[in-house]
Amino acid sequence: MSATHHAAASRQHAHTASGISIRDVSHTYGARTGGMLALDGIDLDIGDGEFHCLLGPSGCGKSTLLYLIGGFIPVQAGVISTSAGPVVAPGPDRSIVFQNFALFPWKTVKDNVLYGLKKAGFASAERERRAQRYIDMVHLTGFEDAYPSQLSGGMQQRAAIARTLAVDPGILLMDEPFGALDAQTRRVMQEELRAIWRDSRKTVVFVTHDVQEAVFLADRISIMSARPGRIQHVINVDLPKDRGEEILENREFIGLSEHIWRLVREQAVAATRGAH
Amino acid sequence: MMNMAGAQPLARAPKSSVQKSPVPPAPRALSPRMVDIGVQVAVVAALAGLWEFGARFGALNPFLLPPLSVVLGRIWEDLIAGTVLVDLGLTLYRALAGFAIGAVIGIPLGILMARSALVRWLFDPLVSIGFPMPKIAFLPIFILWFDIYDTSKIIMVAFSCFFPIVAATYAGCSSLDKWPIWSARSFGAKERDLLWEVYLPMAMPQIITGLQVALPVGMITTIVTEMLMGGRGVGGAMIMAGRFADSVGVFAGIVQIIILGFVVVKSLEIVRRRILVWHPESRR
Repeated sequence: MSATHHAAASRQHAHTASGISIRDVSHTYGARTGGMLALDGIDLDIGDGEFHCLLGPSGCGKSTLLYLIGGFIPVQAGVISTSAGPVVAPGPDRSIVFQNFALFPWKTVKDNVLYGLKKAGFASAERERRAQRYIDMVHLTGFEDAYPSQLSGGMQQRAAIARTLAVDPGILLMDEPFGALDAQTRRVMQEELRAIWRDSRKTVVFVTHDVQEAVFLADRISIMSARPGRIQHVINVDLPKDRGEEILENREFIGLSEHIWRLVREQAVAATRGAH
Repeated sequence: MMNMAGAQPLARAPKSSVQKSPVPPAPRALSPRMVDIGVQVAVVAALAGLWEFGARFGALNPFLLPPLSVVLGRIWEDLIAGTVLVDLGLTLYRALAGFAIGAVIGIPLGILMARSALVRWLFDPLVSIGFPMPKIAFLPIFILWFDIYDTSKIIMVAFSCFFPIVAATYAGCSSLDKWPIWSARSFGAKERDLLWEVYLPMAMPQIITGLQVALPVGMITTIVTEMLMGGRGVGGAMIMAGRFADSVGVFAGIVQIIILGFVVVKSLEIVRRRILVWHPESRR
């Protein structure tokens, strides 16, 4: 519904999707003080227009990898590049939804959404239209003039998602974006995100620790090891492009989820062993 | 409920029956806020009454503490003569002008100290030394450097307002949450846009707190410089009254300062609430 509308109206401003190439990327936190190796020799190619999930136990460095792709933290070793060249800084071609919303608390929901649109150079009337469309899409109609501190965590996260989707980035980075949502809203948002992705051909990198969410959303899933983060398995999800509620009962979906669950569990067990 | 409690103090009624006993909420004739204001006004009125009657009925020497009504009568006379408004206006002008200069220099410098190591290296020692120092000690120097009229007074006020403002702004801008900054950058904001679009609004609660500390400091400094340097203004008028042993005149000045200070500080509170509508504190 809103998603098809979206694709037709936004084509002229759309950033072109791009693949992402990650070559031998390692990352150490606190390198000067001994350091903690968070990522170790990551090699990964994410295709143009692919929906890719990074799946792994907490602390495996999957968010770090996402921030490196976003350009928020400098690449220490290895190279990350998109069609625009090597990543050196954040940019509007790679928009991100953070785990903790990162809304501007001094702006209303609508002004938060308008900020990105203004930066992206949309004309005033178009900004208004797009802001309203995405606010409606995340079911925040009626809360346009509310400040983030007046909203629940789930509502804040939906506002943050609207803000990022509205600028129609070529590459969409998402750091456990649905973690704060209740189960029903999460399902609706997952379906909306799939629909938006299918219609607008973005490259999506989606970080999650929820196996079912990863299988439902992704074309391919990278399973990361416990710290230091390495890519342990890359798994193709050969399920129909159109995925709705019914896919949850699909035998292949269930089988694949179980298979991936076992792989992730091995890493999670290794992580707890490592902690002792 | 009361019967049960009286008859069997040890027996506990089943919880549900106790809690469900219908206690209709009392009709709210007065909101808690109205009660608050009422009590505060009553306390001030009681003190004023104590002052008035203590002085009038000989408990206190009326020269040392003239009755409030006499003091208010003097203010009324001077108001009609026009001198009160001139003195109040001058004092307010000096206080606000100095405060504004302190803010215009202090806020940007505080932000720059937080964002740039070079600026921090240059100014951190100065601010650290100046913050706890009694700023009024510089008055003789300011009189030598800039005349004895408005300029030196306003500079003295600006100097004393500057330190709390720069310190609060620096502290506020050094502890900014990185997530809104990262989001702004990912939408394509440049470093110079971030200052206005992110750092300043995000640090606004601490900056306004610094202003709220500085404003009374500015008022105090204004009165003290006026007292030390003479001339028009509430502080100057009080010193003149004191020299002529006019205790009524001195108390008239005190009452004027109390009212002026109250109005100015309350106004800034209202400004704070209007600027920080987005902040959870505004919805308490």
